[in-house]
Amino acid sequence: MIVSDFVLRDWGAWAPGLSSSDDWQAWSAGQKSMSAELPGAPASVPKMLQRRLNLLAKAVFHAADHCIKAGEQVPTVFSSTHGEIGKSFRMLKTIDAGEELSPTAFSLSVHNAISGLFSIVYDNQQESTVLAPGMEGIAAAFIEAAGMLSEGRDEVLLVLYDEPLPDFFPFEPFKLNIDVPCALALKIAAAGPGLAMQFYRSPEVRDDGEQPVQLLAFAKFLASGQKSLTLGNQKHSWSWHKR
Amino acid sequence: MENELKQLIIDALDLEDISIDDIDSHEPLFNNGLGLDSIDALELGLAIRKKYDVKIDAEKDDVAKIFSSVSALADYIESVRR
Repeated sequence: MIVSDFVLRDWGAWAPGLSSSDDWQAWSAGQKSMSAELPGAPASVPKMLQRRLNLLAKAVFHAADHCIKAGEQVPTVFSSTHGEIGKSFRMLKTIDAGEELSPTAFSLSVHNAISGLFSIVYDNQQESTVLAPGMEGIAAAFIEAAGMLSEGRDEVLLVLYDEPLPDFFPFEPFKLNIDVPCALALKIAAAGPGLAMQFYRSPEVRDDGEQPVQLLAFAKFLASGQKSLTLGNQKHSWSWHKR
Repeated sequence: MENELKQLIIDALDLEDISIDDIDSHEPLFNNGLGLDSIDALELGLAIRKKYDVKIDAEKDDVAKIFSSVSALADYIESVRR
């Protein structure tokens, strides 16, 4: 069943040591490795807002900057399994220690905090949906975006991101942890210039884990000559195909 | 006291690129001056409570006046601690 035919206008991604499309191509061909590099201050973000960005938020802005210019109006779908869980965990430890929470940290602790900063930085006043996709992985964001396109929006920006879980949380038997922070941004459209793609339900039964472990598989699919990708999490599988 | 407060502002609000000399004691801290916002006001309120044991109460105190400049903030803290 085809859920959506769409056009991929632009995409960008950030992981340690990988940020340009050349970096991702080289990485997908096995010619470049990730590094221990931390995301620097994104040039698109004003100085007074940069201090509000933690590492994951910086990664998000580096990825999204490939797909949007300041003042451009485009509806957005953000998707993150855990959000800024490192920060949430530090706040929980602060509460546990009986100390007062930082109002700044608290104000940015909601799941849509990065989406809010994003709308300020790019002066983007369009609707924004922020998902915590759980078992459906990255497909949930595509389903949401497909809905927006079918309602008549010309373009939708998808922003997918996750960071490693703090050691406190159990990793096993779940497949929901990555070793590095990673952000992926895609601008998709109903028609027009770009790479024509299809997104559909697959009958395959697979277990590719949740979004954090799917992000790199999807970046590899985009950066390489790979024609199709199927990702599933036991119950549902989803496929992306370059036409 | 004013320099001590300026350092507190820089540290509490992560103003990495700003030094004590960049902050004018009589310039506004918020909006047009240093460019701080309402979240910064809360963060600064917490830092002042921790360091000086002075609580600024948004219900009772004239918060806009207290936070109008480093100089005004220093005067207020000293008047309460006296």
